[in-house]
Amino acid sequence: MSGAQGQALAGAPARARPAARAARGEGAHMLVAALGLVVLIGAWEAAVHLLHLPGYILPAPGAVLRALWSGIAVSPASPIGYYLPLWSTFRNAALGFLVGSGVGLLLGSVMAESRTVERLLMPYAFALQCLPKVAIAPLVVIWFGFGDGSKIAIAALLALFPVMINSFTGLRAIEPERIDLMRSLSATRFETYRLVKLPNAAPYIFAGLDMAVVYALLGTIVAEFLGAQQGMGVVITQAQSVTDVAGVFAALIILGALGMALHGVVRALERRVVHWADRGKR
Amino acid sequence: MADSMPLVLDHGEPMSPAPTQSLITLRGVAKTYRTAFGGEVHALAGVDLAIGEGEFVCVVGPSGCGKSTLLRLLAGLDDCEEGTLSLDGTTVTGPSSDVGVVFQAANLLPWLTVRENIRLPLRVGGRHRPAEARIDDLLGIAGLRDFGERYPYELSGGMQQRAGICRALVRDPRILLMDEPFGALDALTRERMNSELQRIWQVSGKTVLLITHSISEAIFLADRVVVMSARPGRILRELAVPIPRPRSFDTIVSSPAYPALAREIRALLNAEGDAT
Repeated sequence: MSGAQGQALAGAPARARPAARAARGEGAHMLVAALGLVVLIGAWEAAVHLLHLPGYILPAPGAVLRALWSGIAVSPASPIGYYLPLWSTFRNAALGFLVGSGVGLLLGSVMAESRTVERLLMPYAFALQCLPKVAIAPLVVIWFGFGDGSKIAIAALLALFPVMINSFTGLRAIEPERIDLMRSLSATRFETYRLVKLPNAAPYIFAGLDMAVVYALLGTIVAEFLGAQQGMGVVITQAQSVTDVAGVFAALIILGALGMALHGVVRALERRVVHWADRGKR
Repeated sequence: MADSMPLVLDHGEPMSPAPTQSLITLRGVAKTYRTAFGGEVHALAGVDLAIGEGEFVCVVGPSGCGKSTLLRLLAGLDDCEEGTLSLDGTTVTGPSSDVGVVFQAANLLPWLTVRENIRLPLRVGGRHRPAEARIDDLLGIAGLRDFGERYPYELSGGMQQRAGICRALVRDPRILLMDEPFGALDALTRERMNSELQRIWQVSGKTVLLITHSISEAIFLADRVVVMSARPGRILRELAVPIPRPRSFDTIVSSPAYPALAREIRALLNAEGDAT
């Protein structure tokens, strides 16, 4: 691997300029985005004051920030802080994501490899895909109870489909020349899958994982709404029950940050694994 | 132990163009493809061909004449329903480790480095023997010594195809089958690749069957040029190329045999073009 780094370093001067330009472009984008945020918050604050909106309809940004701060500036073990519910939601979403994507990849792979399994499973896959899957959540709660199990199960259920469909599509999208190559080497079916089909499908699979990670979070929150001891969904319903709208907003900001962080992790992994995808058509 | 695997890359002299015993034998080979709409395409009809050990044979023919079919049959990628194909006396029933295939447009895997691409054939079949020394040798022979850790998209088309040739050679097959390997390259790169291939062939002593559209490429490379007819492909004529090696594009055109051969092949191909 040190050889690869050496090569990258050797090529660095040639690539430095476009990289610098890209960094400058990114900086400008960040500046525009930050300005937009400032304008939005200013307009929000002004609207609340000028229109005399009551705090239980739309709280002022200041109230939201105060609610946010009261959830952040506490001991991580405090029951009123965000840390315990955030950890619970994150853990259940992440476990659900891992289970759902794993099963999705497995099912997608088996369907891609076998026409029989494809004919057997595809109709159900499409039927379930058309069903709004959060509608199954009450049923899952009956089966798995109000504990972590139902959260993980619903998160996994929502994460499963995009990964399954994308794996299936990606594995079938293999170029025939690459199959010929493996056949000419007398590769077994599993060797062809592992060495060629799976890496070839990686860009598709990552697009599925990217969706799945956000769906897993969605599934966890929906399950928490239906009944849970802890989690960000509980924080939201508790704040809602006392019309603490600023508290709801603050929890939503935390959830948004979690969603973006999860998405960012998947994207970072994708960039590492399929760095060749845009440039390596031939 | 594994690193001391014989390379069989040390034949100083090219093999004699007149083989005593044939390594590849085709007898009455015919192939018909069924299309998706129930039609039939007669790709090959009654092909007889014998290629000796160490010989370099180029197959030229009009587009769609079944040249690639011929190669796929020899590679064991397709079955023929008539006639027999044999490698060293053994009937071809599927892909063999004695055969290395070089595909059109390199066909490298973009997620692997050049070195990993060349190593790929060794990862198949549970072999997993360390062969870094051999890969280093091949990279050196192909002029890719400094590019082993690069990815295919960082290489030019000619370099990619040289890596494809290394991959075909890594299992040390006796036979190299090449399907229009340089068709996608510009004329200048192509000539350079032809010189490179001649050199690689001369040091490796492999038996090569190369499919091409280019008459000059065929004459430059081949001990024997096989001219095929339009579909269904038959062998029209086999022409020995009595030009001494190593050949170069500078000198080959002034060789008295060159223009006569080129004229004859062109005439054969043009007659086929008119016939269809």
